[in-house]
Amino acid sequence: MAGDNKNGLQCAEFDALLSDALDGKLKGLQLESFDLHAASCAVCGPLLSDAKVGHSWLQSLEEIEPPGDLVRNVLIATTGLRPSWWERFHAAFITPITNLARQPRFAMSFGMAFFSLSVTLSIAGVKPGDLRHLDLRPSAMKRTYYQTTAKVVKYYENIRFVYELESRVREFKRATTPEQTQEQKDKNQKNNTSGQPDQKQERNYSQGENQPVLASTPELPPVVTVTTYRRFS
Amino acid sequence: MEDAQVAAMLVRRCIDGDAAAWEEIVRKYNRRIYNICYRFAGTADDAQDLTQEVFIKMYRTLSSYDIERGAFVTWVTTVTRNLLVDHFRKTKQDRMTDSLDAAPSEHEDAMPLSDRIEDKSKPPDASVQSRETKEAVHGALQKLSPDLREAVILRDLQDMDYREIALVLKVPEGTVKSRINRGRAELARLLQRTYRQVV
Repeated sequence: MAGDNKNGLQCAEFDALLSDALDGKLKGLQLESFDLHAASCAVCGPLLSDAKVGHSWLQSLEEIEPPGDLVRNVLIATTGLRPSWWERFHAAFITPITNLARQPRFAMSFGMAFFSLSVTLSIAGVKPGDLRHLDLRPSAMKRTYYQTTAKVVKYYENIRFVYELESRVREFKRATTPEQTQEQKDKNQKNNTSGQPDQKQERNYSQGENQPVLASTPELPPVVTVTTYRRFS
Repeated sequence: MEDAQVAAMLVRRCIDGDAAAWEEIVRKYNRRIYNICYRFAGTADDAQDLTQEVFIKMYRTLSSYDIERGAFVTWVTTVTRNLLVDHFRKTKQDRMTDSLDAAPSEHEDAMPLSDRIEDKSKPPDASVQSRETKEAVHGALQKLSPDLREAVILRDLQDMDYREIALVLKVPEGTVKSRINRGRAELARLLQRTYRQVV
């Protein structure tokens, strides 16, 4: 190989020029004789193509990122600097967790969880701007607790008052309406062709009409309707 | 101020006992040293241990650095290379790519080296270099003999010029070029044969 002389270039010279050729440094006559030798020599031709391919393979390798704690470890090993409690805590607990969280599958999970949470909050009407006004001081939280309790008690008292009122009205109606005679009752019984008891039949009718809650006895038609619309303050 | 002057000043400060200067040196060169160690040793754990050893050696011999004899980065690379060669000798990973097709002497029936490269990858694609392909190239690099491997690492991965590489390896520039050519060609043959078998 070394002694071969093809196209004015020996194989040893070709080998010496090969790196420069791959770096694109050969020009003119030198490049011409290099190419001619590569085309005609059975040894140097494949060497050139293999070197080109190998060069491109190596170029594809990227630089590797060193581990995050490398510098710290080197400094400890060389200057003997003891890490602070925070650095030790960080290395023992936070670094492993962040390394785990950086893995693509966990990152995707966190992304999806965040997306779901934000969608849920936006549907629920929670705005990030509202959160700014949240007072998380203990005194403020205590005040919110008492206000909420007062609201619940007030609501309960209101409901109680409404039921009491309804009951009084029902009693008043009972006292003022004359009692039905036995004859009228029998007549009503004959008109009932459904075969169901009076009470059940009436309930069926009321379901169909979608009536509001009435303060009346089941046997008698409603006389007074009390509908309450109360709002929390 | 030039890099060489900055480095020389850092070294001088470091020799005078300035801990901050040493930290700056560590921060500046840890990436380069780690990468050389990783490509030469093959694994991240070995690379981390070797990088630490390199810095310990540098810390102890920093006063021996002479700015007249070359750039600080060349000195750092020389220290790294010497330690890697020592490590290689200790671990006795004698892998010669010259006998690529020959079976290892102690196992005459064993497969040649090209057959033993782990097949994890698909054929090469000019546009897309997948992670598996990079791992295959890295694996093939480990199969090269240490002389060829260090030459191609310094040239193609660390982008050093031939003169600097010759200083680090303590061989003539012509030998450096020859080793780089042979290293590239052997790597290509290893990978091509692997892919041919897969296809």
